[in-house]
Amino acid sequence: MIGMTRIFAPLQEQAAAQDTAAAGHEGPFNLGDMLAHHILNAPEYELPFIGAVHFPHWDWAVFQLGGLQVDLSPTKHMVLLLLAAVITAAMTLFAARTVARPGAGVAPRGLANAIETVVVFLRDDLCKEYIGHGYQRFVPLILTLFFFILTMNLLGLVPWGGSATGNLAVTATLAVIVFLVIEISGFLTLGFRGYMKTIFFTPPGTSGAIKYLMLAIMTPVELLGKFTKPFALAVRLFANMTAGHMMIFTLIGFIFIFGHIAFVRWAVAAGSFVFVSAILLLELLIAFIQAYIFAMLSAVFIGLMRHEH
Amino acid sequence: MTAAGFNPVPAAAEVPSWDSLFAVDFGLAVWTVLTFGALLFVLGKFAWRPLMAALDAREKSIQGDIDEAKRQRDEAEALLAEYREQLADGRRQAQALVAESREAAEELRRELEAKARDESRVILANARREIERERDAAVDAVRREAVEVAMAAASRLVDERLDSERDRKLVTDYIDDLAGSGGAWT
Repeated sequence: MIGMTRIFAPLQEQAAAQDTAAAGHEGPFNLGDMLAHHILNAPEYELPFIGAVHFPHWDWAVFQLGGLQVDLSPTKHMVLLLLAAVITAAMTLFAARTVARPGAGVAPRGLANAIETVVVFLRDDLCKEYIGHGYQRFVPLILTLFFFILTMNLLGLVPWGGSATGNLAVTATLAVIVFLVIEISGFLTLGFRGYMKTIFFTPPGTSGAIKYLMLAIMTPVELLGKFTKPFALAVRLFANMTAGHMMIFTLIGFIFIFGHIAFVRWAVAAGSFVFVSAILLLELLIAFIQAYIFAMLSAVFIGLMRHEH
Repeated sequence: MTAAGFNPVPAAAEVPSWDSLFAVDFGLAVWTVLTFGALLFVLGKFAWRPLMAALDAREKSIQGDIDEAKRQRDEAEALLAEYREQLADGRRQAQALVAESREAAEELRRELEAKARDESRVILANARREIERERDAAVDAVRREAVEVAMAAASRLVDERLDSERDRKLVTDYIDDLAGSGGAWT
């Protein structure tokens, strides 16, 4: 990551040399700083026409939790998280009210219809398909995960927005929640003995020394498997969002890097514009795909655990 | 203004350290738990439950409509089949009736024909018998007449040439011959 700021160092030094009077701005353009400003979390939020709004640091909201420093002070990603929650709630509540309106004799249209279609798809093709018997209890979780993650992803594509799913803390926490649901529902479905078999696994038909050998080999594998699933969930979403934003802002950054070279700057700007537009469309697709994958894999893992014998 | 002079990062902004990219912020984690928990609770109660109920109700109602339509179609088909059956039955009956009446007429015709033929045969037989009788009677009458004529002729012959023994024998033989053969008259 430190290398990031050094990649374009020669160009930046050249730019700095030419930048004689950058009125109102401190220092030369630095791509690494720009990326950091847009991707990393910070106790401030940049708004249009107003500029960066600094959040207060709540000293009272800082406490130790078993050796962990927990700081509940507002940050950019926390604001985006809450904003995404509010938008998700507003849209889905609206859709629910429209669809469930008493005496709704006509089929719902527009947003409500779109959300209903997605809800039916997730319910039938994820929950019913992968979780199977008793899937109804998991439908709210899967639906909330999908819509919440989707909204957070899409907020990253809005000007002056940003995606909370580009923060490892957010994706890891969601993954831990899914992990707990997988293990607890597995425990409740399989019972103590059945659950223990998902850790201490012996292939059927083995006995004696082979059985204990298999046990010795498989137990760490099974335990590792339990933790790699949520780890993969967390990293996949985080890495996809972060990488996408890095790509977009790097391409935009080219415009500023080459801005002082008279003969190429317009070509670079045009090229960047084309590429950024294309990547933005790709990111739009990825925002949906990643939300879908997170929800789908959650359903798959819950179903796998519950059907373990 | 040179292009390099514009910096998209606000001057007042604090540039965060890249070290924070992989450092999990536990404050944000707590916020995530709270936000997601609240969202799950609120949406579960006020969005997903009514939505699911509405979807289930609609699916049920559509399924009901489909079942009802299917039932009605089955009913209509059964009715149609019944009507077709009745129609075919009626046609069959009519055909049977026609065939029956045709047969009856034929029977009647045959009967009448037979009766007429019998009658004509009876009439013919009667006529033939009558003719025979008439002919017999005629033959008898002719024979009697012949005897009378013969007797008259004979008596006349007898009156004139009664002495001829040979004539007498001739007449007697002739009569005998007539009576005996009978063939010439019958």
